[in-house]
Amino acid sequence: MTTPKGDPILLKVEGLRKHFPITKGLFRRTVGYVKAVDDVSFQVRRGETLGVVGESGCGKTTMGLSIVQLVQPTSGRIQLSDNGGWMEVNSKTIRHLRDKMQIVFQDPFSSLDPRMRIRDIVAEPLQAHGMKNRRQRYERVETLLEAVGLGSHHMNRFPHEFSGGQRQRIGIARALSLNPSLVVCDEPVSALDVSVQAQVLNLLDDLQKEFGLTYLFVAHDLSVVQHISDRVAVMYLGRIVEMGEVDPLFLYPKHPYTEALLSAIPDPDPDVVGEQIILQGDVPSPADPPPGCHFHPRCRYATERCRQEAPELADLDGTEHFVACHHAQDLDLTGVSTRATA
Amino acid sequence: MLTYIARRLLFLPVVLIGVTLLVFVAMSLLSPYQLVSTYIKSPEELKNQSLDDLVRKYGLDQPAHVRYMNWMKNLFRGDLGYSVSASMPVKEAIARRFPATIELALFAVIPVVFGGIWLGTISAKNYNKPLDHLSRTFAIIGWSLPDFVFGLILLMVFYGVLGWFPPGRLSMWADTVVLTGDFVRYTGMNTVDSLLNGRPDIFWDAVRHLIAPVITLAYLWWAYLLRITRSSMLEVMNKDYVRTARAKGLTEKVVANRHIRRNAMIPVATVSGSMVLGLLGGVVIVETVFDYKGIGLLTATGAQQLDYTLILGTTLFYGMLLVLINLVVDLLYAVIDPRVRLE
Repeated sequence: MTTPKGDPILLKVEGLRKHFPITKGLFRRTVGYVKAVDDVSFQVRRGETLGVVGESGCGKTTMGLSIVQLVQPTSGRIQLSDNGGWMEVNSKTIRHLRDKMQIVFQDPFSSLDPRMRIRDIVAEPLQAHGMKNRRQRYERVETLLEAVGLGSHHMNRFPHEFSGGQRQRIGIARALSLNPSLVVCDEPVSALDVSVQAQVLNLLDDLQKEFGLTYLFVAHDLSVVQHISDRVAVMYLGRIVEMGEVDPLFLYPKHPYTEALLSAIPDPDPDVVGEQIILQGDVPSPADPPPGCHFHPRCRYATERCRQEAPELADLDGTEHFVACHHAQDLDLTGVSTRATA
Repeated sequence: MLTYIARRLLFLPVVLIGVTLLVFVAMSLLSPYQLVSTYIKSPEELKNQSLDDLVRKYGLDQPAHVRYMNWMKNLFRGDLGYSVSASMPVKEAIARRFPATIELALFAVIPVVFGGIWLGTISAKNYNKPLDHLSRTFAIIGWSLPDFVFGLILLMVFYGVLGWFPPGRLSMWADTVVLTGDFVRYTGMNTVDSLLNGRPDIFWDAVRHLIAPVITLAYLWWAYLLRITRSSMLEVMNKDYVRTARAKGLTEKVVANRHIRRNAMIPVATVSGSMVLGLLGGVVIVETVFDYKGIGLLTATGAQQLDYTLILGTTLFYGMLLVLINLVVDLLYAVIDPRVRLE
């Protein structure tokens, strides 16, 4: 099992699957499944940030949404640490766990109800979780808005009166209103301008320190993930292919897919002649993944074994650096800093 | 806000000149002899005077633009002319008939709008399930049935066979009471006036006469509102902010009522506004079928008899109504959707 050392574990995910049925014809017969998330297991420590990266369609967002039950998982077990015990997270229990696990959504423009004032958007979870006193709620909203860098004069406004960055701050205030221990951040900055991205990332960083938050940070931008994460999980076609501490993973990747992803990060130094690994072909359809290792059709190191046998995610050297590759130990892959300097 | 209203009202005269001019142009396509025909009740009238005399008498020999200017001049004096088909001044005809139409519209709008929204909500909540198909089929049948067919069926069953809902606006005995001097006509709406005069029996009689036309109108329009509500709800259901609402830990009921329905109502309100406008403009066929003497029936009769003064008068009136109600709808729009700014 992929057990990280150090701080106590907050979230355990075991064998999480989300398969979307594909229906066809007049009677909507199920002809197959899109395996958006396919047998994913990992754990998150209290207070850390686990970054999840992968290209579009790899299932990272679906995974984040299934953990907070906004997408109903097909199977798998999710447990949240609670006062020394474990709470099962499923569709029945989730409504009472919303105060412990929250989510910040990707698109700040569409995720706020356009007909609600900011104070009501942020206060609504409080009301739903038993804070009956209206004045008390609004006081809490004021504190929260201040915490995310907005003022109490924003309380009576409507979402359309704010910029993208401000809206995302409102989304963050809303997520924090119930004092959650875990916050799933579903690409929280990908809809924002780069300059605003930095502000929001720093805000998330500050809030984590202030409130002792744990983040599951889903993103496709590798530099963002490198900046914010303590550990990183790399997903490909619904599975985690590599997971480990951020620096070892970025410097010494062990999976060929991670290597290819990292080679795509632009280097600000014009003298660096990085080797761009261009992956051949498209991502295979998650409805019909290739046999064996899912990555083998695009992997330049693939062998016969990769075509037949699916590799398990394993900790090879006891350093909490997990990788799902048959050749992890034989390959010498290039990370971000081991690029040749001309 | 006030400047917005003022600016919108500035357009009112422009619209009114436009529509009346249009009617005048259409009318000028008719020969003076055709236009004068409305004044002739029987061949007897032509014994002592020729058609040309009559044409000259009513000023129909003058060119159209002169007649239009004359009509305008009278209009500014508050005179809309005399309607031959209604045998009374146009102004009085409108004043008498319009309350009847308002009454019908008021009684119809509640079942139409709320019924349609209710059906649409059922459909959306049970998307592609039997209940959805059932409510849609039910509504589509109403939409497809011509109102003169459905109205006549209602009349046949509930008047002809059962005798519950008679046509007209009041029964003979009630009409007699209403026409006596003791009965004060405050609004011209029978239901309101009867209550103000303390006559619940007349109120009940008026309601009995309203039920069948209201059902006809409601069944006709339900499909329309159902479709708008259903598609709008389905669209909103998949919005990100609905997912956000779920993430807050709200119950499904709160999510549906506070977040989905409120946002889905915005397009429904627009459609309802134009529907009210249509109802107030008079529903010719329903008023004809049920012999309900509203403004629709008045205009239709006038048009049949080439009663151009009446047509001009009702056109003017309807144009005014259109501008005012659209203004009200736009103001309401800003109330229900904070993103709309009136400028």
